[in-house]
Amino acid sequence: MKKRSAGSIIFLSIVLVVLYLPIVVVVVYSFNANTARIPLAFTGWSTHWYHELFFGRNQIGQALLLSLNVAFWSVLISSVIGTLGAIGMAQRTLNEKRKSSRMDTVMESLAVLPIMIPEIILGLAFLVLFNAAGFQGNELRLILAHTTFCIPYVFLTVKSQLVGMDTALFDAARDLGASPFRVLLDITLPLCRPAIISGAFLALAMSLDDFVISFFVYGAGQGTLPILIYSSVKVGVSPQINALCTLMIGLVFTLVAFGRYISSLRSVQRKYVSARS
Amino acid sequence: MKKLLSLMIALCLMAMPLTGLAQEEKVVNILSWYGYIDDVTLTEFEEDTGIKVIWSPMESIDDMLTKMTQGASGYDLIITSDYSLDILRQAGLLQKLDKSLLPNYENLNPQYLSQYYDPENEYVIPHVAGCPLIIYDPEAVPFEITSYEDLWRPELADSVVVMDSARILLGITLKTMGYGMNETDPDLLKQAQEKMMSLYPNILAFGDLESVTAMETKEASVGFMFTPFVYMVKSLYPDYQVVYPTEGLGYGIDGYVIPSNAENVENAHALLNYMMQPAIAARNAEAQMYMCVNQAATGYLSSQYVNDPVMNVDPELVAQAEFILNVGETETLYNELYTTFKLQ
Repeated sequence: MKKRSAGSIIFLSIVLVVLYLPIVVVVVYSFNANTARIPLAFTGWSTHWYHELFFGRNQIGQALLLSLNVAFWSVLISSVIGTLGAIGMAQRTLNEKRKSSRMDTVMESLAVLPIMIPEIILGLAFLVLFNAAGFQGNELRLILAHTTFCIPYVFLTVKSQLVGMDTALFDAARDLGASPFRVLLDITLPLCRPAIISGAFLALAMSLDDFVISFFVYGAGQGTLPILIYSSVKVGVSPQINALCTLMIGLVFTLVAFGRYISSLRSVQRKYVSARS
Repeated sequence: MKKLLSLMIALCLMAMPLTGLAQEEKVVNILSWYGYIDDVTLTEFEEDTGIKVIWSPMESIDDMLTKMTQGASGYDLIITSDYSLDILRQAGLLQKLDKSLLPNYENLNPQYLSQYYDPENEYVIPHVAGCPLIIYDPEAVPFEITSYEDLWRPELADSVVVMDSARILLGITLKTMGYGMNETDPDLLKQAQEKMMSLYPNILAFGDLESVTAMETKEASVGFMFTPFVYMVKSLYPDYQVVYPTEGLGYGIDGYVIPSNAENVENAHALLNYMMQPAIAARNAEAQMYMCVNQAATGYLSSQYVNDPVMNVDPELVAQAEFILNVGETETLYNELYTTFKLQ
């Protein structure tokens, strides 16, 4: 490895501090013993807020569960729709070896429209639509709305992956006797997998993060986690939220570390196998 | 990967029954800022009556109004501020209270009843009330502050914190010029904005949380803030001075209303009656750090709370205090003028 200069080390540490200091503050304040309504001073260490989070009367747990539930289903549905849409669109232009028609452009713009128009307009449109249709199910409304704005993220990532792909692969498979469906399963989808996964993660982040559309769409009852947090601002956001964030950060770090560990095991295995053959 | 997926599916399936169960219980669904009734009170109410409280969090009054005027349903109670109560009532979105279900109604302080948003007391039960006030550190400020006008004095450069509100800040500027807080004449508003421009060098920060933080760390020595925040600062620094500005006070009442399409009307009344019990009302006022609207609760309030100048505003001053009214289209002008003021 190239030796780093002092300047780059300083630059790196500044970037790291700026990026991670807020997270550290969140974690530290989740252990604050100060129980004032707006606890600014750090008065000592305590697990009070964790106790409150799990055993106190609050809707944070349900809000988190609802958020995860909505995110899970909308990402799942939008991954399927977005991927199939991207493949279909790409095949129109790739396989038939022709220039994209005006129709294609229109369809593509329509597909990404949900992230182009302002959130608040989309939210209002959903509200009016659902009310007119007499749609009451809280979760169903949220899942439908989230699916709508999640599709473009999957669609765009998969589409860009497909555009750069060698069409000879598909032609070769067809030439060797594979049915179009077989080509889709064995060639197209595996090649798209990284794009689908990254698109799905992007969609997941957007769904978990969304406030504006969710606020208008959610019916009476439980709101998603971002709605609950925004709504607490007037009375004072409870450090229970810090406790929850700390737990989520912990979970994400553990998952990422676990994933790294697994993939490092695999690469060792691969080296071993290739060395033997 | 598969395990992770199945774990997530299991979690989601676990979430399903939760929503299904809630429909069979007795429930009351409240739309308001999360935490606007404290957890202890809600828990006790649930234990005493067997009615489960579901809190539908709202972010701002404007969002709530949009939702309600678009025909949203499922809410049994809304807690919101005076001018929006008026808008809801005039849009015909509220239903009349059934006073026979509210024997504790007589505990309320008549001072907070019969307001412009509900002159006949048919729709609204007051929740809390408050007057935005000035609080300052007498050691850091070289003179005595008595009015809004004093906030303009050059000695206060970079030491004033204020709430982030177009209507209230332009409102007090109008008051220093001898007008009311709800003027609609565009020329007058422009003059007010010009005057407000010269306040800018004195302002250190905008916003509730920002203000409290700056006051607690003593970065700022003067604050013009809403009731709970003045109360917080005063509790922390008892020697700070609270000012009732000589130009007159602003005023606000937040109240409960029952939307016309509510489904659990009886449960909503049960909660209202519960909240109007003297001891509960006292705890509510202290928890929310606002003025108590319940006369019978006086005996249950702590002495610190009762003796605090923030909570103990002279009823005569309150009677003359001015509400922020719904000014319709002019609201946009207020916001435009305020935005250019903040961006200068």
